[in-house]
Amino acid sequence: MSGVMTGGVSRSAGRAGPALSVSDLRVSFGGNHVLTGVDLDVTHPFTGLIGPNGAGKTTLFNVVSGYVTASRGTVKLDGADITGAPQTLVGRSGVARTFQTPKLIGDLSVLENVLLGIDGRSSLLDQVRQAVSLRGRGQANIDRALSVIDTFSLADSANLDAGSLPLGSQKIVEVCRALVSEPSLLLLDEPAAGLGRDDVERLVEPLKRWAAGHGTTVIIIEHDLELVTDLCDDVAVLHLGHIIARGTPAHCMSDPQVVEAYVGISDRGGADGDKGGAIGKGAGGVNA
Amino acid sequence: MNRRLATAVLAVALAAVAIVLPDFVNAYRLFLATLIVVFATAGVGLVVIMGWTGQIALAHVAFMGIGAYGTNWLFSDLGVPWLLSLLLSALAAAVVGVLIGFPAARLRGFYLAIATLAFAELIVRFFVEADTITGGIAGKPIEIIQLFGLDPDRSQWYIALLLAVVVFTATDRLGRTAFGRCLRMVRDAEVATGSLGISATRYKLLAFGLSGFIAALAGGLFGQLLTYVSPDTFHTALLIQFLVVVFVGGVNRLSGAVIGAIFVVVSRELFQDVGDWQRLVFGLSLVLAVRFLPGGLTSLLPRLREMRRLDRQPQEALS
Repeated sequence: MSGVMTGGVSRSAGRAGPALSVSDLRVSFGGNHVLTGVDLDVTHPFTGLIGPNGAGKTTLFNVVSGYVTASRGTVKLDGADITGAPQTLVGRSGVARTFQTPKLIGDLSVLENVLLGIDGRSSLLDQVRQAVSLRGRGQANIDRALSVIDTFSLADSANLDAGSLPLGSQKIVEVCRALVSEPSLLLLDEPAAGLGRDDVERLVEPLKRWAAGHGTTVIIIEHDLELVTDLCDDVAVLHLGHIIARGTPAHCMSDPQVVEAYVGISDRGGADGDKGGAIGKGAGGVNA
Repeated sequence: MNRRLATAVLAVALAAVAIVLPDFVNAYRLFLATLIVVFATAGVGLVVIMGWTGQIALAHVAFMGIGAYGTNWLFSDLGVPWLLSLLLSALAAAVVGVLIGFPAARLRGFYLAIATLAFAELIVRFFVEADTITGGIAGKPIEIIQLFGLDPDRSQWYIALLLAVVVFTATDRLGRTAFGRCLRMVRDAEVATGSLGISATRYKLLAFGLSGFIAALAGGLFGQLLTYVSPDTFHTALLIQFLVVVFVGGVNRLSGAVIGAIFVVVSRELFQDVGDWQRLVFGLSLVLAVRFLPGGLTSLLPRLREMRRLDRQPQEALS
């Protein structure tokens, strides 16, 4: 990854400790142990979370964002313990996330959908003031939302219904909505799934610029290993509910445990990647 | 700017027509026009809770009953000024709405429908039991108001209009700002509300409260129009008519409440001689609207525009 750490007012650079610290996290649904003791300190601006289907990646996101309560372990955001906090509180403490399928309001415009990223964090009193104000009290919010929309080259679509946009654009709108609240931690759940290469480009470059400029820490679950390699200089590989490898993308892709997790055997020299025994970074078809 | 000017001119023209209408129509026609305005106002409450928030709410006419009985009790029995009585009754209905919202916020679909219907029955049962306030099962005559020295028909017409303008304007404003967007987020993507810091429960409660408040405001006037109300007034037959108001008109749009109210009141007139068969008309129109026109009559124009746009596209591509 290049350029992400340089320039901008980096909140992550100013942190004394990790942006997110997960310790001994365990989650079970009935007899199904989905997370079996995850330890993860996130210190890099972009961290990739990869692993085969069913590894527990989205569950980890769900725990961090307050959707699922862990049976054991702690979650700390910038050193503050948010373990077990309800999702609205986590959302208001600076954690934003996206979903595998975009959760937008189809009959509202792109701008209105992005404004929701600010709305949810405003008090009810502010909302009422906004409604009764004749002087356009909400204009500052609109300007903020338009600025994010413009960053991701969607200005032409700002007044179109979100439901009328292709999937790729809808996913980018959801990222805009997550970013407009200027979160300290952004969780992206498969942002590139179903996107063409052009859409991925439209997403990645502005995201890099945004993170560098605002000091947002981004954790990304993604199947597209090329994207992970391009975006992240830190990767954690989750398999069967725990982290099996951690480090640079190159290090993780060549880790024998990771190769085994993906293809079932660890010693198929060269057969599954472009480097001996490694998973190729262009392995778009491999479940990450 | 031109569009704003056109809207302002249209509003002034409509206001002028509304003000002079009582001079040009007989008392019965004025009654029907007032009924349309009252139905449309009550319909706004259903648009908020069903259309914008996506909650099935079948206690709406019971809230109208709270408005009708409460206003009359405060005004007639306790001597509270009529407008204040209306406002206090609406606030009481809002509180009941929020209370209903607590269990309702945890329910969805079929279960929510049953729960709200059960609450409606409870409220109607209260109307039967609280006979010192409501006159019990026999019902109670409503003391008719005369404001500004006008005759009752004109008083009701102007109050209904004023109330409708306030309710429509305020609700439209709320719908376009953060509050309205949060309600729609609850409707379309409740799972994602938490990640945006939006408490779905809080907005459901507020929507139930606001919907009840608006229903009771309309109910206070509805009582005035009927001159006599009993618990039976606020039962299923009226509920069906209000479902027709929003589903035939268009449940997502405030204008749907107006179109739906016109449809229902005109249908009531056209089919008033057929007795119980009138219910068949409402039932049938409800089924047809839900099956063939889910967005209601107000969705026709946008749909036609979209079809014309899609028709044009291939020609534009060839040219």
